Amino acid sequence: MAFVRAGLILAAALAAGWWFAATPATATEDEPENLPEGPGREETFYSCTACHGMAIVTQQGMSRARWDDTIDYMMARHGMPELDPADRKLVVEYLSVHFPSRQRGATNPFLKR
Amino acid sequence: MSSKRERGLIELYNDDPERADALVFGRRADKGADGVGRRGFLKGAGLATMGAAVGASIPFAQNMPSGLFPAAMAQTPAAGAAAGPKVLKMDGKADLILLQEKPLNAETPDHLLDDAVTPVEKFFIRNNGLVPEMPADINTWKLTVDGEVDKPLSLTLGELLNRFTLKTYRMQVECGGNGRSFFAPETRGNQWGNGAIGCAEWTGVPLRDVLQAAGLKSSAVYTGHYGADPHLSGDPNRPTISRGVPIAKAMEEHTLIAVRMNGKPIPVMHGAPLRVVCPGWPGSTSQKWLTRIWIRDKEHDGPGMGGASYRVTKVPMVPGGKTPDSNMKVLESMPVRALLTNIANGTELPAGTREIAVRGHAWAGEKTVRAVHVSVDYGVSWNKMTVQNPHNKYAWQRWQGKVAVPSEGYYEIWTRATDSDGKMQPHVAGNWNPQGYGGNPFQRVAVLVKA
Ligand code: HEC
Repeated sequence: MAFVRAGLILAAALAAGWWFAATPATATEDEPENLPEGPGREETFYSCTACHGMAIVTQQGMSRARWDDTIDYMMARHGMPELDPADRKLVVEYLSVHFPSRQRGATNPFLKR
Repeated sequence: MSSKRERGLIELYNDDPERADALVFGRRADKGADGVGRRGFLKGAGLATMGAAVGASIPFAQNMPSGLFPAAMAQTPAAGAAAGPKVLKMDGKADLILLQEKPLNAETPDHLLDDAVTPVEKFFIRNNGLVPEMPADINTWKLTVDGEVDKPLSLTLGELLNRFTLKTYRMQVECGGNGRSFFAPETRGNQWGNGAIGCAEWTGVPLRDVLQAAGLKSSAVYTGHYGADPHLSGDPNRPTISRGVPIAKAMEEHTLIAVRMNGKPIPVMHGAPLRVVCPGWPGSTSQKWLTRIWIRDKEHDGPGMGGASYRVTKVPMVPGGKTPDSNMKVLESMPVRALLTNIANGTELPAGTREIAVRGHAWAGEKTVRAVHVSVDYGVSWNKMTVQNPHNKYAWQRWQGKVAVPSEGYYEIWTRATDSDGKMQPHVAGNWNPQGYGGNPFQRVAVLVKA
């Protein structure tokens, strides 16, 4: 009984278009040109967008150490392929120059000890 | 908030607020005996400059703490992005704040959270991976329950609905990272403001009924939830995220395997056809597109359970620094939070307004909300609001009241909740942790009473 009822509800929902589209109508193209210019831009763009958009990257503001740690995290947690050392240096450099920590607190005295 | 000058100002404030105050507004911190600034006094030209920046005189300027960036000038959540917030344009969805498209993450502006029951169109979206394809016949969707149970179950959606009784509750689901953007320095992840929250009416089978049918062994300690959403890398063997809860929380009567949201089948974007609703805990425990519940004999160790993910510190760490994984513990209940929902940040009120009717919602994870206070003078005085009891456990609570403003000009409405243990929302996000959980400073909404 419950089964039939649920089935009917689902069918009605489908007909009503209740299960709306899974992608936003205005998907923006990710392009390297949308990132700030500088050495490492292409390397960064291509090594990060294999999986996700750049928006999760550009939302961040982090120190060099934390950007470097983020690369390890991407490899360990999400299976990102290892970058060769020269590329990794470029990418970390690019990210820490263009997406540094912008907020108060970034200069905590204990971080220098 | 788009001109170069204004953006520069925001950066200056972020870098060194006291210096910004001194440079821009001529405001100097009044140093206490210990050399720490207490309160900045805005006078003359400085006051006029800040007034010009917010577009009005600031009646309670003398109360404004030094280095406090006016809420009217603060950007909405995704503050880092110079381009300003983007808006989600999607069929069936209101104009949510788009944090990223792949994976799709969008938060609800505070003032769209005014409904007692959050409609689907206003419900935030938090995806960790891709949205799974739905089978042609949804009733063939399968749920497995295995691990530390006497009788592993494999049920189709149809069988689940036939075999168990449905319950309906209003319950909030809140992203574990709600409030992350308030941490300084920035913490890693989606930069949510306060809007990764919704309180919907969920209908489903209590998880405990299913676990009882499977028969928990005495070795059962924790659940591990799995969903059908593909990992962003496209690797079919890599679960996108798999979190769980201690058996006691899984057996709590409100923890549901939900099939309906607000009386209708759960929309694909919100986890159709089956999802866990584990109210009061980080939303990641409310697995969407549920396919499997694995009963574990230890704390679950799926992706999203380790490292700094959904974890807070045991011993406080230096903000922006490093701490060993052994100093991290799982974030369980979400902290207390209140939102003003009937007035949007940046609202102009008609000339002559001397009293403002305010209302909103407040919630506190596993706890309830004991009190909500509102200030319009930068926290010098707080007005007690009335707070209703929740519709059921885990439903957010309506609060409302009135506040008086003595004149025209620029005001900030500060809203602060206190939970049933007496814990209040702090002024700033404390207990810094690398991925930014538990940030619940009180909300600030700027209004302008017109001359
Ligand atoms: C193999 C796939 C993959 C690659 C390549 C990858 N990432 Fe990620 N990244 C992920 C996944 C999956 C997430 C989690 C998405 C979520 O849960 O919202 C993520 C999340 C993030 C986050 C947010 C962290 C969090 O905990 O929410 C940051 C920051 C990030 N990635 C940075 C990068 C940078 C920088 C690069 C390029 C140098 C990169 N990623 C490359 C898979 C990848």
